[in-house]
Amino acid sequence: MTASADRPTWQAIPGYEAHLLRRVGQVDPTSLADYEAHGGYRALRAALEMTPAEIIEMVKASGLVGRGGAAFPTGIKWESAARQPVTPRYVVCNADESEPGTFKDRVLMEGDPFAIVEAMTIAAYAVGAEQGYIYVRGEFRAAYERLANAVAAAREAGYLGKRVLGSDFSFDIELRRGAGAYVCGEETALFESIEGKRGMPRQKPPFPTERGLFGRPTVINNVETFANVPHIVLNGPDWFRRIGPPDAPGPKLFCVSGAVERPGVYEGPMSVTLRQLVEVCGGMRPGRKIQAVLVGGAAGTFVPAEHLDTPVSFEALRAIGASLGSGAVLVVDDSVDMLEVVERITRFFAHESCGKCYPCQLGTQRQWEIVRRWQAGHHRPDDAERLQDIAHAMREASICGLGQTAASALMSVLPRMVTRFEGGNHVSASDADH
Amino acid sequence: MTPSQDEAVADILVRWQPYGRAGLLPCLIDVQNHLGWLPPDVCAQVGEVLGVPLADVYGVATFYSRLYTQPVGRRIVRVCDDVACLANGSPALLEACRTALGLAPGETSPDGLVTLEVHPCLGHCEHAPCLMVNDQVFGRLDAAAAERLARAVRAGEAPPK
Repeated sequence: MTASADRPTWQAIPGYEAHLLRRVGQVDPTSLADYEAHGGYRALRAALEMTPAEIIEMVKASGLVGRGGAAFPTGIKWESAARQPVTPRYVVCNADESEPGTFKDRVLMEGDPFAIVEAMTIAAYAVGAEQGYIYVRGEFRAAYERLANAVAAAREAGYLGKRVLGSDFSFDIELRRGAGAYVCGEETALFESIEGKRGMPRQKPPFPTERGLFGRPTVINNVETFANVPHIVLNGPDWFRRIGPPDAPGPKLFCVSGAVERPGVYEGPMSVTLRQLVEVCGGMRPGRKIQAVLVGGAAGTFVPAEHLDTPVSFEALRAIGASLGSGAVLVVDDSVDMLEVVERITRFFAHESCGKCYPCQLGTQRQWEIVRRWQAGHHRPDDAERLQDIAHAMREASICGLGQTAASALMSVLPRMVTRFEGGNHVSASDADH
Repeated sequence: MTPSQDEAVADILVRWQPYGRAGLLPCLIDVQNHLGWLPPDVCAQVGEVLGVPLADVYGVATFYSRLYTQPVGRRIVRVCDDVACLANGSPALLEACRTALGLAPGETSPDGLVTLEVHPCLGHCEHAPCLMVNDQVFGRLDAAAAERLARAVRAGEAPPK
């Protein structure tokens, strides 16, 4: 029973057309000819007929925002890098997909690797970069091999290298592998890793568009973000804006996992609700009820069952204190002890904190300690206050997104955790120092 | 054969030398893929060839959980126990592997064949619960399947499909 699925674990939500997943499972991902036969490299040819500024305007007008979790407007990022007077500039693909519950980028890289290479080439033309990097998570061997093959085949065919397709534009891509560090998904930590250093985040500003990889202007985008680009170039920004709600245009990949019948990557507009996503997966296993949905992965928040009719648009989720983040929708049923889930999440952050800044280094350890103490049956009356204090310090004072989000899942279930201990099992202040 | 005489290691060093420090991580990954771990004399060689201080070589080698500066099993069984796998019964998988391998998480068998690790999310949640044997992912396992898999790994056989 290997991970090569007995049935597809990716599809468009019924009633919607697949764009990002269109070729996944339909083409031979190792064949450039097959990619070309299914519309591949039409977008790059079209892009080379435009000026770089026109492409940037298109991406800006589309309203595409980053799909890695931070939702920063992609076109503005590109424009900012293109405006820097400094060369060389770099284009980097963040393929270090490590957020627990997230696996969409892996599915794209394994199933449609040439699309990522083509999209990066368009980005490089738009911002004036001659060198690109794809940083692939160390665990994703198949994705790495597919991308390596795609880069080599594209180079061979003149889609990469000196004078791409006979134009004056030159661009090439190198692949790098991660080696087991969640924090390297943070863009500046990823740069440090490529530069041969410990993968620790940098203070921002300066932002990557100004001083990124090797201190040069750099555009770094997530795999799924890049995958949108050829569609925007070919179909135009208005087409893109017609998909999904006004505040969250374009197709989106949702990674639905946990206690559902058919977990997988589902593509649809961000007007879908959490309940629809669960239903598309065939609903819950027989006899099971939803306890909560972890939206956005370990860095996200638990959404209780009563909010399942919330659309996954930025605004609607914000209204209930949640965020889509990387697109993880992890369903926890009533058979699982929420305290155990919270222990996994707090352990994860304690393990993955890089230790560069104290709020995160200490805060992630402290919250894990407190949760483990709860597991041992000891609760103190001021635990909630302490955890809120730790969360506040991490959120406000951590250098990067890891620390800034390390408390969000725990905070979202804190009232429930505290209620659980009311009326018993308290230890006195002298029993424990934390 | 000492690593300095190992031609494959020499080839890896030559390949990454032009990159200097930026070649450090891929060089360490390639060396480890060849030798199974990162012995001290090889780390020293890598630092010399790439122009990176030895302390910095170790700084990087110890930062990443998939790089090993101590000998490790030729086969590494990584059992995911993160949230998606937990919601699909991963504790039973881990228990099955512990029993079949006779190892606690973090331990290597005395013959150097197998290491057992508990791992954060492997990024294959649609196949939960899952585990990896070296670079290969096995998903939708129940305890019995995990035990068969672990026994095959322990016996040095190819993992059953």
